[in-house]
Amino acid sequence: MRSVAIAGIGGMRFGRYGDRSLRVLGEEACIKAIRDAGMTPRDIQLAYAGNLAQWEWGQGLLIGHYVLREIGLTKIPITRVENGCATGSTAFHEAWYRVATGACDIALAFGVEQMTVTSSEKILSVFTGRQHAERSGDMGNSAPGLFALLARRHMEEFGTTREQMAMVAVKNRQYGSLNPEAQLTQPVTVEEVLNDRMICDPLTLPQCCPRGDGAAAVVLVAGKIAKRYTSAPVSVAASVQVSGTYPDKGSYTYFDTDVRAAEAAYRMAGLGPDDIDLAEVHDCFSVAEIVHYEDLGFCRKGEGGRFIEEGQSGPGGKTPVNTSGGLLSKGHVIGATGISQIIELVRQLRGQAGRRQVEGARVALQHNGGGFIHTDTASCFIHILRK
Amino acid sequence: MPRSVNSRRFIEEGWFHDFGKGLSLTGGRCPACGQTYFPTKTVCPSCFNADQEKFPLSGRGTLHTFARSHMGPSGIPTPFTIGFIDLQEGIKLFSLLTECDPWDKVLAVGMEMEMVIETIRHDEEGDEIVGYKFRPSMEKPS
Repeated sequence: MRSVAIAGIGGMRFGRYGDRSLRVLGEEACIKAIRDAGMTPRDIQLAYAGNLAQWEWGQGLLIGHYVLREIGLTKIPITRVENGCATGSTAFHEAWYRVATGACDIALAFGVEQMTVTSSEKILSVFTGRQHAERSGDMGNSAPGLFALLARRHMEEFGTTREQMAMVAVKNRQYGSLNPEAQLTQPVTVEEVLNDRMICDPLTLPQCCPRGDGAAAVVLVAGKIAKRYTSAPVSVAASVQVSGTYPDKGSYTYFDTDVRAAEAAYRMAGLGPDDIDLAEVHDCFSVAEIVHYEDLGFCRKGEGGRFIEEGQSGPGGKTPVNTSGGLLSKGHVIGATGISQIIELVRQLRGQAGRRQVEGARVALQHNGGGFIHTDTASCFIHILRK
Repeated sequence: MPRSVNSRRFIEEGWFHDFGKGLSLTGGRCPACGQTYFPTKTVCPSCFNADQEKFPLSGRGTLHTFARSHMGPSGIPTPFTIGFIDLQEGIKLFSLLTECDPWDKVLAVGMEMEMVIETIRHDEEGDEIVGYKFRPSMEKPS
């Protein structure tokens, strides 16, 4: 595999853009990323577009072509990908693979989603329909349900508290208040989090990520030509994808996908969890972040609650996590989420993260889990980026 | 007994079967490797053996975890209680929980649970959808 670097990033504040189209949102992110790389669309040799669904009108067919045609990017191979909540990371991983294997030197990966145009119930039904063998969505399960079940078992086995879970929301909203691209920018207190509306006990509203509309894009280049386009290339030290095993046995307090993906990613990068200066992890719900600390090796199994309580994942801590504000502040804009996480890490490694900058950051980890079936995430991606 | 008539039907017809002692949930078992499954599979996902046996699941197990949901699909009045059950057969099963009020006093991780077959929701047309739920075991531990 060849070395691959990120030469350009294009993000935007996630929010309610129901009056704009998927196409227009995608265009904005792609134009920004191509400009940031100091390129024109003619430089791009291949593109992947991540989009889960056009929620009210079925699938977002050909969204990559619709978006890129508008900016004059035609002829090249363009492919739309879908992988649940890890859709954006799938686009990134595929683009990385094409550059790493020498199929092309410059690739674009973007993700776009527009979720405020539909209802929570529609989203739930898309995720938990008849394809799920156990039909648990039709029997009352939901994303908050799955994570509330995880939370209860974690509390029982390891003594994790409601307060510790609330602290994840407090930390991420604090970081979010420092990120101009976050959707929720108002900090919250532990008391406010605990006293807010119950969604699925033990998880209250601020512990569940909001949805939103938006897009995110990056330009990847072969490492050997990266300096032509950027003075601060960020290299991809590991790019790993795994799928779930959906275990029946054992304790529902971890994600088998996380553990296997982390092992593979650390091996690929020749690094360990202690080498990670900061991370963006899939905090769709507060408890998820606590479990990811453990699964990614930032702390030992069962000590995730203590890790947040001691401030180890906050400013000045051992491994600051979700300095962007995470999904809990930015919102989970499915197709764009994975690439948005990577954009935050590139900003950090470039030293451009403003008041939330992690000083001296050199190595960063991105984690994005996609879809949930039975007891496991369907797909999980980990990327390790290096200055 | 609930069958596929106008207003009442099983969530999945193939899940429930009378093996001779009343309706039970149908498990799948691979005679080659011994793995058990719910729902049944066409081939064994462990060893790809094509001959799969059906057998009645005991409907007994322990409560692995639980939660109280204030949101969910239409047709199930909120709030409702959900859980994962560790069945005696080694299968983890998602289930609605019933007969457990007040849920936060009655339920405890590890407690014995048993299955009941009853209406789990109403669909968009108001038809009753029959499935399984679990409740705290009524049997005294022996």
